[in-house]
Amino acid sequence: MLLQQLVNGLTIGGIYAMIAVGYTMIYGVIQLINFAHGEIYMLGAFFAITFISFLGLPFYVAFLVAMACCAVCGVLLDIVAYRPLRQSPRLAALITAIGMSIFLQNLAMIIWGSRPKPFPHGSLPAYFEKTAVTFGGVNLSWFHVFIFTLTIVMMVGLNLIIKKTRWGKAMRAVAQNQTMAALTGINVNRVISYTFALAGALGGAAGIMVGAFYNSIYPTMGYVAGVKAFAAAVLGGIGSVPGAMLGGVILGVAEALGAGYLSSLYRDGISYAVMIIVIVLIPAGLFGKVLKETKKSM
Amino acid sequence: MTPILEIKKLFKSFGGLEALKDITFDIKRGEIIGLIGPNGAGKTTLFNCVAGIEKPTGGQIILTNGGRTTSIGGKKPEAVTGLGIARTFQNIRLFDNLTVIDNVKIGRHCRTRSIFFGAVVRNRFQRAEEKGITESAHQFLDFVGLKDRGEEIASSMPYGDQRRLEIARALATEPHLLMLDEPAAGMNPQESRDLMALIRRIRDKDITILLIEHDMKVVMGVCERVVVINHGEWLTEGEPQEVQNNPKVIEAYLGTGAANAA
Amino acid sequence: MGKLRLQDLTRGGKIRIGLLALALILPFLPFVTDYVLHIAILVLLYMILSLGLNIVPGFNGLLDLGYVGFYGIGAYTSGLLTYHFGLSFWVIIPLAFINGAIWGILLGAPTLRLTGDYFAIVTFGFSELVVLLLTNEIWLTRGPLGLPGIDVVSIDLTLFGGPKWEFIGELPYYYLAIVMVLVTVFVMYRIQDSRLGRAWFAIRDDEVAAVSCGINLLAYKVIAFAISAAFGAVGGSFFARWVTFLSPDMFKFWESFLILCMIVLGGMGNIWGVMIGAVVLVSLSEVLREILPVLGLPVQVRFLAFGLIMVLMMRFRPAGIMPIPAVAAKMRAGRVKRKKVKPAVGIKK
Repeated sequence: MLLQQLVNGLTIGGIYAMIAVGYTMIYGVIQLINFAHGEIYMLGAFFAITFISFLGLPFYVAFLVAMACCAVCGVLLDIVAYRPLRQSPRLAALITAIGMSIFLQNLAMIIWGSRPKPFPHGSLPAYFEKTAVTFGGVNLSWFHVFIFTLTIVMMVGLNLIIKKTRWGKAMRAVAQNQTMAALTGINVNRVISYTFALAGALGGAAGIMVGAFYNSIYPTMGYVAGVKAFAAAVLGGIGSVPGAMLGGVILGVAEALGAGYLSSLYRDGISYAVMIIVIVLIPAGLFGKVLKETKKSM
Repeated sequence: MTPILEIKKLFKSFGGLEALKDITFDIKRGEIIGLIGPNGAGKTTLFNCVAGIEKPTGGQIILTNGGRTTSIGGKKPEAVTGLGIARTFQNIRLFDNLTVIDNVKIGRHCRTRSIFFGAVVRNRFQRAEEKGITESAHQFLDFVGLKDRGEEIASSMPYGDQRRLEIARALATEPHLLMLDEPAAGMNPQESRDLMALIRRIRDKDITILLIEHDMKVVMGVCERVVVINHGEWLTEGEPQEVQNNPKVIEAYLGTGAANAA
Repeated sequence: MGKLRLQDLTRGGKIRIGLLALALILPFLPFVTDYVLHIAILVLLYMILSLGLNIVPGFNGLLDLGYVGFYGIGAYTSGLLTYHFGLSFWVIIPLAFINGAIWGILLGAPTLRLTGDYFAIVTFGFSELVVLLLTNEIWLTRGPLGLPGIDVVSIDLTLFGGPKWEFIGELPYYYLAIVMVLVTVFVMYRIQDSRLGRAWFAIRDDEVAAVSCGINLLAYKVIAFAISAAFGAVGGSFFARWVTFLSPDMFKFWESFLILCMIVLGGMGNIWGVMIGAVVLVSLSEVLREILPVLGLPVQVRFLAFGLIMVLMMRFRPAGIMPIPAVAAKMRAGRVKRKKVKPAVGIKK
């Protein structure tokens, strides 16, 4: 029982981590809580089933194409909604982010309907259901293994991109100091676009995995997942990528254990409570720096 | 007579950078004292420590005021204002989008008390207080030469007037010590002369003035005593003339060797 | 006191008196059915709520995403006190005000020292927790089943040998709501022109300068948040006694969003603007509620329009349709960089 909860917690936690890094990266470069990030996650899942049911793409191909679409959506979101407000007070950008979140959620409701959708029958690879390993009475399906592997691969990949590539370096430079980065010849807007693309792709992938895991996709799925992932990002220390990863895993496990041992009714409440407590007691999170109120804020 | 402000062995470091090292000097009641030093000497940091915006890493700042002695090092800025120290900022910080008169009225905040109940009920106390706020706000505007300009939006005024407004707002807090951070910056000679006259008139109201200034004409013209700091350390202090001719000061500003040339 | 004569009034004053007169005779106009009256009460209720919320983003420049939490607390407190103890509405209103303020202080005191974004997200988490509590603490709230049978408002003079009137139908609630809106507007106007209001505007404009004037940021933000929450709770109390049925679903994030949208649309910080925002959005919401099912869409989709309104307002008219100059300038501040040229420093001898 404990072990089963732990495995589930780790699985979901890994997925939270993938969404959380999106929040953290975007916060890093433009100091904005991108409330609409949860909606990109939701769109990822809907893109995937749409490609499978209408174009007949195999699962893996649909997965990759949907990720790409989410990357594009992320970039468009930034260009259409946030870029014009770059110089405005923070309050304006924050309100826009909430507005976009609600807008996209309801747009999805118009396009795909409000009822939960499953993946088309037989479209998920058959081996997902099969048991991969059994230990201590816990059955680990291949699907668990798939999610674990993918999460780890993506996190390692992301770390390599941030640490080793030119983009990654530019991204860190912009996060440090936008003006100085621009002076050294970095195209700040392009770096911000890359960041949104990367965050969007990861968020989309997370959406597809959760959608497939529960085999249920609905327009408001991004709302709760988004808040939880944000809580994970806060727990890890906003702006810190490794922090977001760790935060996601901790939150996933805490939630699974809490739901198992305390009360499953308050499953979602655990994230909110963790978030509030962390913000009040250790606003810097596990790895973050203390935020300074900037002149920009209103 | 005890000095109004004693700064004793003040230290302030940001991480590894020591911005202030062992600064000690007194400010006498009723004087106009200048704080000078090259860029980056730590003048504004010292201001911020006194004003409560920065917390000193060591040493004491002691305010003696109306027979009461208070250690203000590390106190919150709003508390420092309440104790009778007001300041202006190097890059003017007005309430840009509010009217001129509201700017000064907000300065009266720490000397008034009504909150929610008074605001809603408007009892006798609140009405009297509000009347007092309005009257004194107009007086302070009048005093700095901004009479009848109350309804303008602060940011729409010319630069020199914004400086005056900032001083009026600081005066509205009824300070005993007024700290001015480069008040003459960006002013033409005529405006500078007006400013000097204003500073003297403020002193005549029994307010001690601490002034950071780069414009030597202003420093020489208005200060009675000058403290020089360099690289965060106390360099010398004395009357303006004697400080001006001090080789160490010239060296600090112009570099080694300059003293000999001069 | 001088006599109030019509010709002495300013144009704005005449418009105000005209609108109030219109509101007072509204129920007797020919086209006004019970349904229209119901919507009108809804508009008035949202006026109270948006005026209350306005204190935080409008007067202080802080984003509050959890306003509905206080509304829900107020509604359920009122509902439960009525249900179990049969307390009179007139006793509950001041209690609700105090109750809301206490919750505002409890939430605000530890969180208002944080930066604005963190504060926004904490308020959001708070209101979601309130909904979870209302849903799951069945022993107290009956959970998703809802709390039915809350007494209507009544004026009970039996103690003094008088009669007892019960508020039946929409009409008495309509007038009650008008009185409550008038009181709210009165309070807002008085605050706006007081030491308290000026301290808030100072905080909204420049926190560092505010501190240097001796304003205690945390204390004044907490006061703002508490008063705002208090009005939310009062609105909730009215709501409970008017619809006489409560369920946790009524207090989800959507409500906070809608109220925030009213402020953004009408003009943050502008009392009149905020009220107009309430009129426009409640009407729009009701129209869409009728139209959407015809188009085969769920009524929830009307939030698409609200989301769009928010995004477009921030982009093109960030201070709302009725901007107040101070907020408009503030919201523009970054875009037109303020030119405060500081000429090269004079001679350094």
